[in-house]
Amino acid sequence: MECCGPGYASPQEAMKAPREKLLYTIAIYTGTGIQKPDYLATIDNDPESETYSQVISRCEVPGIGDELHHMGWNACSSCFDDSSMSRKYLLVPGVRSSNIHIIDCGSDPRNPSLYKVIDGAEIKAKTNLSAPHTVHCLGSEIIISMLGDAQGNAPGGYLHINKDFEIVGRWENSMGDIKFGYDFWYQPRHNIMVSSEWAAPNTFMPGFDLEEVGHLKYGREIHLWDFEKKEPKETFYLGEDGLIPLEVRFHHDPDSSHGFVGAALSANIIHWWKDDAGKWHWEKIIDVENEPHPDWPIPVPGVISVILLSMDDKYLYLCNWLHGDIRQYDISDPHNPVFTGQVWLGGLLGNAPTVNGVKVTGGPQMIQLSLDGKRLYVTTSLFSTWDNQFYPEIRTNGGCMLQIDCDTENGGMKINQDFVVDFGKEPNGPSRCHETRYPGGDCTSDIWI
Amino acid sequence: MKTVTLTNRDGATYLVDPRKPLLDSLHDQGVDLPYGCKYGGCITCAAKLIDGEVHQKAQVALNNRQLNDGYVILCVARPLTNITLEIGVESHDKLYRNPFLDPLAAHELKADIATPKEV
Repeated sequence: MECCGPGYASPQEAMKAPREKLLYTIAIYTGTGIQKPDYLATIDNDPESETYSQVISRCEVPGIGDELHHMGWNACSSCFDDSSMSRKYLLVPGVRSSNIHIIDCGSDPRNPSLYKVIDGAEIKAKTNLSAPHTVHCLGSEIIISMLGDAQGNAPGGYLHINKDFEIVGRWENSMGDIKFGYDFWYQPRHNIMVSSEWAAPNTFMPGFDLEEVGHLKYGREIHLWDFEKKEPKETFYLGEDGLIPLEVRFHHDPDSSHGFVGAALSANIIHWWKDDAGKWHWEKIIDVENEPHPDWPIPVPGVISVILLSMDDKYLYLCNWLHGDIRQYDISDPHNPVFTGQVWLGGLLGNAPTVNGVKVTGGPQMIQLSLDGKRLYVTTSLFSTWDNQFYPEIRTNGGCMLQIDCDTENGGMKINQDFVVDFGKEPNGPSRCHETRYPGGDCTSDIWI
Repeated sequence: MKTVTLTNRDGATYLVDPRKPLLDSLHDQGVDLPYGCKYGGCITCAAKLIDGEVHQKAQVALNNRQLNDGYVILCVARPLTNITLEIGVESHDKLYRNPFLDPLAAHELKADIATPKEV
């Protein structure tokens, strides 16, 4: 295979990549009262640099109130054999506005610039979709899960964009009986895609009404797709074990059928796999206990807002956004995870209100792991309206970013004492940081086909 | 035309077209307001109605408790009378609540799932 496209030939090759020295993370003003655009912050994390652990540039989007959230590259290891492609542009959607910002990170990686905006109004008009979430490159094309129709009703669908960032249309041929959308990941060698469920944009965007879970306004199913036919073929009803299944992660190994999803409200990890007869199964493998709180009438659920797998598929990391801990599990046997590490930062249980001299408002939320598995970066804001409900002080304190050092041999985690980025001290006022990516790809950006 | 008075902008007043959403009318006259979806679904532009009446049937973001507390969604709301508003996040003191600590009663849910209050 010609080795001149983006990314790496395999997960094993990706693990040998040079250490990441720049981080890109979303920072938002939506919902804060500060009338400034959301932006992509570039952070220097080269310990040898004079600006180590600082925001070194800010690429603002044109609008106000977009709510930048998740993002993805224009190209990844799925086009490793295509020398015409390069990992140059981040696609950064606004969940509320549906605008998709194409940010050029390749021309000057330390100072990304806005290249193009796909107008949310155009997306709504051409596809009847809104509320973009997960971005995955797929060979030279890009698909984005869209959580609503143009009026914010579920289930939405999938937006298909070509490599010139033009709208092709809808990617899926059918949504079947799917009620809600959220995250997705695919494993082409098994002709499978798995999608999860949050809620309709009109339900989750204004904030979280717990009562709406009981009224079936939030998801509790995951969906297995025939990837080539672009239509769902099987649904797993997870029930009370799988309330609000969010982040979907397959093993990085493209030959594996094992995958995982974190059920946020149930605070469980669900594992699925295909048996030798070709039948798919699921099971609950991790159950985070609710914790008592002196001021709460009921115990506090963990609210697993994210999960992530190391590039060698050995460790699973999860965040309990309300409890305030990040956990590391050895999933060498995916049916029997072993709890190997834990750190605390922020959260409602009061176990670590201040870390590295910064008051942590919010809890561990989005995480990103270095390709070699040794450095885990964590941010604290979940979603503007939900932040405002559970951690109202985040308006004045802003979010923060920390680094966790991970022991990849024996398991274990500890907070790095040299690295902290306090988004409470941003020039335009306290902002909130969310998803992080690196110029060379990371542990949630690349899929091998 | 209707008059909009903003209590937390030193009582500034604006004349607005009752056929246009308040967000557009105020924005056109230089009032800097937060907004997001612009179809009444995301709550970012919520403001508190202190006096007067609006038509906001298109909004789907507010539950009945928020409506009862006077919140209006400016991107879809139109004034039926002269109105007085408190705008921006300063007006959001009652908009957000911890759903575990302060649950909604059945009649306080969003309109599509609320049940009438038992008297």
